[in-house]
Amino acid sequence: MWSFYFHELMRSLPFFMKGVWMTVAVAGLSLIAGTVVGFICGIIRAGRNKILRAVIGVWVDIVRGTPFLVQIFIIFFILPGAGIELDAFSAAVIALSNLTASFICEIVAGGILSVPKGQREAATASGLSQYHQLRFIVLPQAMRTILPPLVGQYVLSIKDSSVVSAIGVVDITRVGWFTVQRIPEGIMVFGLVGLLYFAICYPLINLSGYLERRMTVMTIRL
Amino acid sequence: MISFKNVNKWYGDLHVLNNIDLEIAAGEVVVVCGPSGSGKSTLIRCINRLEPIQEGELVVDNMAVHDKNTNMTKVRAEIGFVFQSFNLYPHMTALQNTTIAPIKVRKMKKADAEELGRETLARVGLKDRIYSYPAQLSGGQQQRVAIARGLCMNPKIMLFDEPTSALDPEMIGEVLDTIKMLAKGGMTLVVVTHEMGFAREVANRVVFMDDGHIVEVAPPIDFFTNAQTERGKAFLSSILSH
Amino acid sequence: MLENFNFRVIWEYMPLYGQCFFATLWLSALSLLGAVLVGILACGMRLSQSRLLSWPAGIYIESIRSTPLLAQLYFFYFGLPSLGIMLPEWVTGVFALTLNSGAYYAEIIRSGIQAIHFGQIEAGISSGLSYFQRMRYIVLPQALGMTVRPMLGQAIVLVKDSSLLSLISIMELTRAGQLLTSERFMPAEGFLTTAAFYLVIYYLLKAFSNWSEKRLIFKEAF
Repeated sequence: MWSFYFHELMRSLPFFMKGVWMTVAVAGLSLIAGTVVGFICGIIRAGRNKILRAVIGVWVDIVRGTPFLVQIFIIFFILPGAGIELDAFSAAVIALSNLTASFICEIVAGGILSVPKGQREAATASGLSQYHQLRFIVLPQAMRTILPPLVGQYVLSIKDSSVVSAIGVVDITRVGWFTVQRIPEGIMVFGLVGLLYFAICYPLINLSGYLERRMTVMTIRL
Repeated sequence: MISFKNVNKWYGDLHVLNNIDLEIAAGEVVVVCGPSGSGKSTLIRCINRLEPIQEGELVVDNMAVHDKNTNMTKVRAEIGFVFQSFNLYPHMTALQNTTIAPIKVRKMKKADAEELGRETLARVGLKDRIYSYPAQLSGGQQQRVAIARGLCMNPKIMLFDEPTSALDPEMIGEVLDTIKMLAKGGMTLVVVTHEMGFAREVANRVVFMDDGHIVEVAPPIDFFTNAQTERGKAFLSSILSH
Repeated sequence: MLENFNFRVIWEYMPLYGQCFFATLWLSALSLLGAVLVGILACGMRLSQSRLLSWPAGIYIESIRSTPLLAQLYFFYFGLPSLGIMLPEWVTGVFALTLNSGAYYAEIIRSGIQAIHFGQIEAGISSGLSYFQRMRYIVLPQALGMTVRPMLGQAIVLVKDSSLLSLISIMELTRAGQLLTSERFMPAEGFLTTAAFYLVIYYLLKAFSNWSEKRLIFKEAF
């Protein structure tokens, strides 16, 4: 029986590959959007405008304080009620981008605030503009602190993308869910699902660890 | 009390202890000095086998430290060790720092250990700081707690690894006074330090090391006024010039 | 949509929400307890000199961290029955949550242990404390103290992750929102109420985290 199911599972591989593409598409788009929005919000959050800082703080708390599954349901079921029609794919990308952006916002803000104050003062003393200070003095130094957790956040977001299967997006997890109805060998089917995620995430986890070690060494050299 | 015979130690290719021969008698106070990298810290860290030696014999209180089969817990209970960077346990009060080893190693009753800890902390002048955490104490106070921690095991020997190097100048005196008090009490002390005034006042002998060798061993007066070797003279002039 | 927000229905469903709120609390608490124990054990094994211990722990931690919780949950939910093991849903759910967070706790504790200055261990050796005593009285208390923040952060993640248990039909907060949506078709009322309950837990844990941070006086020593 087991070998029969295994054979069946191998025949479903193309279906799984479609799931992989869907996961890569949802996660990829969300990572790009989330990084852009997250960096902008993070820079504002580390800035001087108290009102903007507080508004972003509340947004971050709400996103961090509620489960991603609930956020997806809210975006998928409630936004249409407000007149915004969304298909499952768009809702998934919006929800995951929002989640990713809020976490990256905190990482970026933390990185910027970790740069010693004296660096800014020195830049001000040499007459650099606010933008130039950020672009050439603060951000390059903050990147050391930002980069390792940023890659770590990418891994978390890719894993969180599995939750979009709950609103019917046919990603790796959803393919596994369909397949297990036909091939009732949960260990085998979700073993394969796990393997596919592992293949995507494991290199990134190692990259994050590598960056962390490298960045630490670089900081000590400074 | 402590006896090095032909002791050798290497870190990879680096020969950090080179044919060390040294006898330290009970009740003796020995100051070890020398330029950085000369092996002086390694020398005293070998005495309680924080560092193992590769060759030779090292006997402490009739126990063979060079022998892998020796029960080091027993040896270490006889030796107090004070570190340059204090290494107090940051999650424990001064009193807890001093009582943990008596309770766990000596199997002393908690109340007795605390009584001992209080007395010992009072001896080093910290009677009113027994419930303070290390982070609430100055460097000099932390180092005195560390000394009290060593004393609470009622050791036969106390080892000091540059006990004042991490301290601000105004705190050095209080720590040295505490060590002097121990010297007068007749305990065997080995102190790695550059405080030459201290050495002159309390040491029976000064051991000068350079490059893994013991270069000179002499009473402090002789060493300071009449060093026998060029390296010894060079070292003295370098530390006296600042 | 919000102008039609129906508070009466929420009030009507409040007993259900209350019940589900406590379900979320005790499912999370049980998993948290298990996860910390698994984490200490896995961390101890991973740092062991013996490969027989460190390898299985490493494989466990890496495979959990490289795959999504939802895939792990389905792996056990569909997989255990195919092995002939029939468990109530909530046991499967708590089991998956425990194993998942356990791997993260193992990494958090490991980073805490490795951040301890080696002088601490040398001081313990010099006073004649045994390996076990040094672990028990010097290393672990400090490692646990230094990692209070990441530990509570992971607890927040765990509470949010418990929402995925709704997908294997366990009654908890997210499931309550799903019920209100399917029975009355009121997704806004359903999921926003659910989100509010999660936010309560989030803010409590966050406040506790900030409070404990201030209480840990010895942290200044690092």
